[in-house]
Amino acid sequence: MDMEIEEIRGTFKPEIIPKETGGDIEDYEEALHVLMKFVGSMSSALEQVSGRGANAIVYQAGKRMGHDAAKMMEKTDDLEQALNEMGEVLGVEFYFEMWKPAGQEGYTIEKGNETVVKVLFMDCVVRQTLRRTGLPQKGPLCYLLYGYMVGAVEEVMSIKGKLDIDHVGPNACLKTLTIKWGGK
Amino acid sequence: MVEIEIDEDACVGCGSCVDDCPNDVYKMNEETWKTTVVNADDCMACLSCHEICPSQAMTHSNIHVAKRLYIDRKVNDVLEKII
Repeated sequence: MDMEIEEIRGTFKPEIIPKETGGDIEDYEEALHVLMKFVGSMSSALEQVSGRGANAIVYQAGKRMGHDAAKMMEKTDDLEQALNEMGEVLGVEFYFEMWKPAGQEGYTIEKGNETVVKVLFMDCVVRQTLRRTGLPQKGPLCYLLYGYMVGAVEEVMSIKGKLDIDHVGPNACLKTLTIKWGGK
Repeated sequence: MVEIEIDEDACVGCGSCVDDCPNDVYKMNEETWKTTVVNADDCMACLSCHEICPSQAMTHSNIHVAKRLYIDRKVNDVLEKII
């Protein structure tokens, strides 16, 4: 395969707010693929070295990201409102919606001191990374989202939460978010 | 609403989609022993049925198609020349 590497030559001065990235869309694409391969390799190496501990490490990283991302969000006791806000923060690369079977009335189900909601992740960078590197879903990298959601929920609602993977597919993944009322 | 079309000529009646679907969207037709859609309302368009179907007999319409940034277009260009 012919590879042409173009060197960029010019003058560079220190700048307070950089305006140019020095690359075009193809450079971004190239960088994204390298990053996907890099993250995929890291994930499988982590699993090889740490076994099931890999899930906990990635979960913790996701949780930290979730707490950080949700710091700017408005605090609420309403799970549906929290999820809508989180959707905006997670953005288009983790595009999700609440989901319910056709016969169910509302999105949330109350079970004692727990509230349960099904969340359908449609666009997911993690899934794309796994497919890029040929890794199975439900592995350590999926725990990044698990941690992210739990971290964000804990930050916004100040309560404990957990996210279980119900089903994974190439186009969408269904997860159950459970929050437990009654403090941290 | 999701629309699902089954190509009955392509369907081999393996029932993999029936087993795989978590929302019981499909059922085997007892007479023809082909897959039929019985509960399209509960389809969440995960498309794991597409992945498991050995004969690519399904088409989903009116769904959110997830971005496929993982596709390496350079590799695809090479494959297109070969296939």
